[in-house]
Amino acid sequence: MFNFLPMPATVTDVSQLTDRERLFTIRLDNGRSLRHRPCQFVLISLFGIGEAPISISSPPVDSGKTFELCIRSMGNLTNAMHKLSVNDKIGIRGPYGNGFPIEKIGGKDILIVAGGLGLAPLRSLIKYVLQERGRYRRVILLIGAKRPGDLLFREEISEWERDPAIETHITVDAADPSWTRHVGVITGLFRNVTIDPLKTIAAIVGPPVMYRFVIREILAKGVFEGNIYLDLERRMRCGVGKCGHCQINGIYLCQNGPVLSYLEARKLQEAL
Amino acid sequence: MDVTIEYNHIDRFIRGLLSHYDVIAPVARDGRFIFDRIDDPAAVSPQYDTTLLPPVKWIYPNNEVLLEFDLRDITKAEVIAQGRPQALTFVHPCDINAINLMDEILAEEPSDANYLTRRRSTVIIGYECLGPCKENHLCFDKGYHIAYKGFDLFFTDIGGRYYVHVATEAGREIVEEDGSFKKAAYDDWVDLMKARAERKKGFKKVIRGDMEMLSHHLKKAYHNEIWDIEGKKCLSCGACVIVCPTCYCFDVSDEICPDMEKGVRTRRWDGCQLRGFCKVASGENFRKDAAERVRHRVFKKEVYLKKRFGRSGCVGCGRCIDYCIAKISIIDIFNHVMDRVRENV
Repeated sequence: MFNFLPMPATVTDVSQLTDRERLFTIRLDNGRSLRHRPCQFVLISLFGIGEAPISISSPPVDSGKTFELCIRSMGNLTNAMHKLSVNDKIGIRGPYGNGFPIEKIGGKDILIVAGGLGLAPLRSLIKYVLQERGRYRRVILLIGAKRPGDLLFREEISEWERDPAIETHITVDAADPSWTRHVGVITGLFRNVTIDPLKTIAAIVGPPVMYRFVIREILAKGVFEGNIYLDLERRMRCGVGKCGHCQINGIYLCQNGPVLSYLEARKLQEAL
Repeated sequence: MDVTIEYNHIDRFIRGLLSHYDVIAPVARDGRFIFDRIDDPAAVSPQYDTTLLPPVKWIYPNNEVLLEFDLRDITKAEVIAQGRPQALTFVHPCDINAINLMDEILAEEPSDANYLTRRRSTVIIGYECLGPCKENHLCFDKGYHIAYKGFDLFFTDIGGRYYVHVATEAGREIVEEDGSFKKAAYDDWVDLMKARAERKKGFKKVIRGDMEMLSHHLKKAYHNEIWDIEGKKCLSCGACVIVCPTCYCFDVSDEICPDMEKGVRTRRWDGCQLRGFCKVASGENFRKDAAERVRHRVFKKEVYLKKRFGRSGCVGCGRCIDYCIAKISIIDIFNHVMDRVRENV
């Protein structure tokens, strides 16, 4: 039986990622690890303000039983989150959602496409794949942001760019004079990438408008619809398939999602 | 076990209930009926059409407190899931069938502690409909004008007395404690059968087509023009989903006490017909047109719930039709879809 009681947790670290996003490191006060899968989410809770669903940005195998949440200040709760500092308390419910089907992707090429804040959930998958690097063939990472200043996890991206284990391509919609890499929408990156269609698993997260264009590019490369995974975001209120806010046609995204294959998603008229 | 009770013993019966339960009964209020908590048996109106809000809302109340918290110490938060013993009385079969479906929906894992706790402390006394209670209902088309389960006692008016079917142990205890019930005799049973035979004449089908096929036809009508037609009328007020006995969408919000130390986390009814229901923090609204929202309401009842639970989520009570200020009628929508199917055959 389910109730709405959040687990008490402590903020153990806060770092500023961009003007709008901060990365919070959280530890559960009960001493347990969160035991989540990549691309699952939690409901964070501040009493007196409310709850909000936030994707988990850290991989399942953690250090010191902490996990990380990348939070953009957007509304009441996230604005209040941004005022928190180390040792402040928050409530956590979850993890919720199905998460990424990591057991299905061994031995494959992993193509990860992250637009904007989509890198926040996908970072859990990227770091997981890099930890288990030997189980996969190529790892290809396409990252898009509006402006260079909007890029999340810039230091890690620089590490990934230097890392021969991962092919990293980055673009921004609007460059500034210091920008030396690709300029344009994220689909432009596909021109420079070769994909083995029979061996590739794709994972896509980004703003709603991005999905159909990226999916079209990947399908054009010949990748099977069932091998393209989308992590869709809706307004998950309860996390337990009751409140109705995240419903897409007949499914509750908080239970049956947030990760759907394109094969499933394209049958849902409201998904994309 | 079947018993009977005479009309003039009903007051005493309700007084007996009042000593053990909060008694929730249909009462007349401002020219219509509502389910309200009563303490005087004289207030009860067993002859009512359909109440404004369905009785299930007494098990799934608005602004229900989920948690009590202390702003100074997160560890002091406590779950509030309690139910006072309550008796829902004179409940029509459509509303009983709605509660049966809500029981299944909210018991599905992860099950809802607040609903289930309240449900377990609720006894339901059904009241048979021997004829249609008003216009604008489609319970007969759906077969929901009869309830086969989901009650502790079930009353049928057989003239001068009620025939009472005792369905559960809780029902038996109520009957045994109250001295007004008599064991049902053969003549009582004959009168019951007569009353039920009469019932068949009263109800009429309002949907032109096979209800079993409705879900199938709707799926094919996803892009039908009816959604735009109805969407243009819809004012997105949400009345239809608030009065619906099988709507359970909610929002969660916090309220702080004036002392600024304690507060409660509550859930309020929310509705998929409201403009902002699917809006997310980025500003994106995933169901921004009224036409999409109207379609979602109909599909949720007739397609999605039917797929999950094997039966339609619309019990045909007709409240959404009665309280729609834009005069949107699911009967019209269903008939439109059925007619289109017939034209295309």
